[in-house]
Order: sequence, then C-alpha cells, then structure tokens
Amino acid sequence: MIFPTFKVFLSKIFVLLFLSTVFTGCENEVKDDFNDVSIDLVDQNGDPFNFPADLKGQPVLMGFVYINCPDICSFITANLYKVYSEMGEPEDIHFIVATFDPERDTPEELKHYASMFNMDQPPFRFLTGSPDQVDALMERVGVRTDVSYTKETDDGEELYFMNHSDKILLIDQNAQLIFDYGGSMTPTNILIEDLEKL
Amino acid sequence: MKRPEKISPVRLLPAILLFLAVILVGCGAGDESEEQPAAIDGEGISVEGSWVRPARAGRMSAGYFLITNFEDVDDTLTGISSGAAELTEIHESYEREEGMMGMREVPELTIPAQSTVTFEPGGLHIMFIQVSQSIEEGDQVEVTLHFANYGDLAVELPVRQ
Repeated sequence: MIFPTFKVFLSKIFVLLFLSTVFTGCENEVKDDFNDVSIDLVDQNGDPFNFPADLKGQPVLMGFVYINCPDICSFITANLYKVYSEMGEPEDIHFIVATFDPERDTPEELKHYASMFNMDQPPFRFLTGSPDQVDALMERVGVRTDVSYTKETDDGEELYFMNHSDKILLIDQNAQLIFDYGGSMTPTNILIEDLEKL
Repeated sequence: MKRPEKISPVRLLPAILLFLAVILVGCGAGDESEEQPAAIDGEGISVEGSWVRPARAGRMSAGYFLITNFEDVDDTLTGISSGAAELTEIHESYEREEGMMGMREVPELTIPAQSTVTFEPGGLHIMFIQVSQSIEEGDQVEVTLHFANYGDLAVELPVRQ
C-alpha cells in the first residue's frame, strides 16, 4: 500500500525543511558590494574619511539624514544611538550618519547635531563632503533626494526642505551590503539581531 | 518484510507547527506593541504626552503630543504660535512613494468630537522653523494652540531627545 510510504516521505520532507530553515533560512545574503567605489568625505571633526575603505574590518550601521529635518531624520539618528545603547555600547561596530545636504551640513554643524544626540564620540562618525562626493555616495548607496518645497522667513531668507529615502544600511566587515531597512520605522531589536549575526 | 510504520497526521502536527513557527518568527519578526488611547473622559480640549526635540539656534525642531477633544462637536486646530522660533507650523511627514519620505504643511487640522489626534515621529508634528535660541534637554518651550471653537490653549512642552 502506497499511502503509509507517502506519509513517511512527507514527514522526512518536513524534517528537511525544518532543518534547512534553522541552519540556512536566516543566513545573511550579500545584496551589494561597495568595494567598487572610493569616495572621499570628511567627518564632524574635519578628519578625512573614505567610503568604504575606512569602514572595513567592522560591521557598520549607516543612516542618511539632513539636519533641517527634525522629524524623520532625527528619528533615524536616534535609532542608531538606541541600537548602540541597547547593545551595551559596543566599540567594534561603526555607527555612521551621512548627510545628503552638504551645502548646509558642514562638519561644524554636524558636530553640534551629533552632540544633541550624545553622539559626538567614538564609535559614531557624521559624514559630509563636497556636493559631488556626497552625491556620488548617495547614488552608490541608493539614497534619493530632491527639494520638496521652499519657504521664505520673515527676514527674507529662503529655506528649502527635501524629500528623501528613509533608510538604514547594515554593511558587513568586507564593505558588503547585508540589509537595507526603512530607517526611521525599523524596530531596534531587528537591527540588533541582524548585527549580532555578523 | 517489515512494513513502514504508519504515521498518524496528529503525530506530524507538532513538527508542522514548529516549522511554521520558525518561518514566521525565526528571522526576527518584531513584537510591536501599540498603546491604546485613553478613554474619552473630560471636557474641552486637553494636550498630553508633549515633548520637543533639542535644536541649535537657527535650526529646526519638532514637537509632539496628543490632542483630545472631549466635546460633542468637532473642533479645528487653525494654527500654532510660539516665540521659540521664527515660524511655527503644523507639519506632516508622509511616504510619497515606496521608501521616499516627504514633509508638507498642514494649514489646519480637524480634531473630531470625542477623539484624540496624535502628533508623533513620522507623522503629524509641530515644526519649529529657525529656533530663536538653542533649546536643550530640560528646557520648556511655550506654544499656543489656536482652535476655531475652543479658542487659545497655552501649553509648555518639555525638551528631550
């Protein structure tokens, strides 16, 4: 009779599927490799920084913001600090915040911004650079931006606001992209679980 | 010849459930909890759970709170004023397209009768454009909310990150 044999077969399939899920289902897949670029930037202290050369050797959590965005971008920055804090303040992980508004977000402004979040200290680095280099970085990592609208203040100054991608990247020790998250809304426990796998 | 043992579907059930559990939670599905709004019990308009992000002078900040309208008719928040910034507006962050966030001004906002409207990160917020002087953790920011029916409501928002 074939029916019992089929059930044995079915049970083996379940066991194999279960084991394969346990051992390989959560394995990290490389989504991109940033070793094909060399982008010169500068951090909040004015020190030079090369992407991705200066990231290699440690896992990286990287967010993208502009300072004049107090809602979504502040949430992204705060999320990075929360991960750092909840992981017990590790020093073997790079926590990087890069601006896509280099005209206004100078190293000095980034330093003040970092201090607001208690992040003007290692292992945090806030990156800016020339508009060309920052554009090159954003294009390579898939961060899109455009000016959403402008506003004139009472003293005649014109301010602009930006539409932008909302993301945090998890990059491994070899400058390879492992995960691309929606930055502001990503629960920190997910970021921590994924970091701990690297 | 020994016949293969007949396996009851009931005996397979634990393995099936375990397998499904691994698929559903094994790769880090988060446990997100949502606070339930408090029961509507009071009168007029109230503001609770308020806070403002720190900001350097000349930069932007955002403020958040819950507005509850206890009345039996809708009210409208027509504007917000504050001496803490060059401009103070109601703004909303929104997803323009997948993964792309934008921000827009909300000229006025209906607060439905017997309801609470939430200002929160990633959604509605008070936008402080060009704060007059640096605001830091521990400070209080004074704002006045202007309602069509209720009139003005002055509140102090604590600053925190």
